Amino acid sequence: MSSNQIRAWVVRGYILLFFLYLFGPLMIMSASAFNTSSYPTITPWEGTTLNWFVELGQNDRIVSGFINSLWIGAGVVALSVPTALAGAIMLMQVSEKVRPIYYTIVVSPVLVPGVIIGISTVIFWERFGSIVGLDYETTNNPFFLTIVGQSTFISAYCMLVFIARLQRFDQTQEEAALDLGATHVQVFWKVLIPFLRPAILSSVVLAFLTSFENYNTTVFTMVARGTLTTELAGLARFGVNPSISALAVVIMGFTLIGAVIYEIKKRREEAIVEASKKRAAMKRMKDTEAAAQQAAAAA
Amino acid sequence: MSSVELDQVTIRFGDFVAVDNCNLTIESGEFFSFLGPSGCGKTTILRAVSGFNDPTEGSVRIGGKDMRGIGPNNRPTALIFQNLALFPLMSVADNIAFGLEVRGIPYNERRRRAEELLNLIALPGQGDKMVSELSGGQRQRVAIARALAVEPEVLLLDEPLSALDLKLRQHMRTELRAIQQRVGITFIYITHDQGEALTMSDRIAVMSAGIVQQVGNGSEIYNNPATAFVASFVGENNAISGKVSRAEGNYAVLDTSFGPLRGINNRGLKEGDAAYLFIRPEVLRPAEEGASGDTTFETEAIKEEFEGSFLHVFLKSDNEDKPFKMALVNDANVTRRSPGTSVKVTFDPDRAVALPVGELADE
Repeated sequence: MSSNQIRAWVVRGYILLFFLYLFGPLMIMSASAFNTSSYPTITPWEGTTLNWFVELGQNDRIVSGFINSLWIGAGVVALSVPTALAGAIMLMQVSEKVRPIYYTIVVSPVLVPGVIIGISTVIFWERFGSIVGLDYETTNNPFFLTIVGQSTFISAYCMLVFIARLQRFDQTQEEAALDLGATHVQVFWKVLIPFLRPAILSSVVLAFLTSFENYNTTVFTMVARGTLTTELAGLARFGVNPSISALAVVIMGFTLIGAVIYEIKKRREEAIVEASKKRAAMKRMKDTEAAAQQAAAAA
Repeated sequence: MSSVELDQVTIRFGDFVAVDNCNLTIESGEFFSFLGPSGCGKTTILRAVSGFNDPTEGSVRIGGKDMRGIGPNNRPTALIFQNLALFPLMSVADNIAFGLEVRGIPYNERRRRAEELLNLIALPGQGDKMVSELSGGQRQRVAIARALAVEPEVLLLDEPLSALDLKLRQHMRTELRAIQQRVGITFIYITHDQGEALTMSDRIAVMSAGIVQQVGNGSEIYNNPATAFVASFVGENNAISGKVSRAEGNYAVLDTSFGPLRGINNRGLKEGDAAYLFIRPEVLRPAEEGASGDTTFETEAIKEEFEGSFLHVFLKSDNEDKPFKMALVNDANVTRRSPGTSVKVTFDPDRAVALPVGELADE
């Protein structure tokens, strides 16, 4: 074997190891969802079954935790995305001197450990409720606390997405719209929001997923109730059964479907843009040809 | 249609004076240009007229009405931006109709108006294209149509041709002027390109360092510059520095390193004043044998450049960095000179201008 061949085999082996490391646990876990063994394992393979999926559907705690997670995710999106957008626009408008300070302040929740955000959210609202005189049920509602608590740092993530997009915004477009008679509100809805659309979509996805998988903050703010993540963690303490693997298969399935749909959509849009560019280039070529012919005819 | 009056307009940013006490009236239906090097304050004036910043002192009046405190969306002006600022996510027709959309005009009516304007700018039927599918010159015309759609009384143009290549720029000059004559509204045009200003404008204001140096039509500015800056900025000019030795009638005689030289004295120069004498390259010509007096001087040829219709002769001047230039029409009489030969030149004193010493435009 030549040294080149050896090198090629080493690279292949490394790539195989890399993907095994990345996907091995997922593959074993997925497979174990179909094994009849009462503990999630693939050895020995005792028999193939779909019962764990049925059991998953019958586990009330997981099902209600999942529904809670969806509601909280929706609430976090509804609160974080507008907050983040406002924060990012504000950053573009404050004076150069204030900007670094402002940026540090609004981004800092990202750096604070989730546990601390969770505890402080609970304590703050309890105190706030008693000072203002709201009843305990309102300010200690687990859904309210979780949405507010998660949004403190998720809105900062989303803001970073908006800032990246806004930095490419051409401010003269805003001026042009104003000059053409648009009010500031119209400029916002007709010029800025269409420009930010991709950033809005990505921050919605980002906010929802981050909320869905959050544990550190949620475990405090949900008080006695649970989300999917906190319920799973609770289950793991009492020993797991393969219905958790079944859940993993379901979640991975949804993720894959989502990713494939997104990719197809993106490619289709790119194809449309490409086609229009080509059409424009063709048109330009034809125009120059026609002009050349005209010039030749004139001569 | 409305006139635009700038009444003692001063605009400051902190300590920096961008526009210093500007007074002028732009007539209704006029094609008026502000000409000056970058940073001279011309864009600031434009933004004050369009409403993006109010003057620090003085007032801007459009059609006799003071515009202070009225935002850009409520002024009868439309601005064409240097980078055009077309909306990239909208079709050509939606771009053009944007001003109508925000005024709540129904879709069909907007669409019809956009189609009319597309005809005006010679892009009929192209409304459904995206802006990215258009060429530079076409985008330019779309920007004009978008501004005209709101039926402004005053159209403001901020160096809109600077991004185009030379040929397209020359073509667009003619086109802009034609559009202005068709729609008949006031155009205020900002440029640092004197060719653009001279060919298109009814009147021009030449600006330098925040100060309006001179207002006049193209030939007034070219033939009778009011300041040393205007004389050196507009067209090519030879500046000879000296001191006024005599001021008599319309003329002033300057004591220069080439001897006494005479030129028109429109600015009331008095004996002893430091001054420049400006003589255009096309005014200089070789002198007859034995000629003398205060319209003749002797110098030395440095080099020649032959340009077909003209022969440019570079002559030694009183400033090493900037030789004099003499432009001779290429006719039967033109003779070539080798570098270093001494040359006697003469000029018509009625076409030489004596002006007080002041800032010269750098090339």
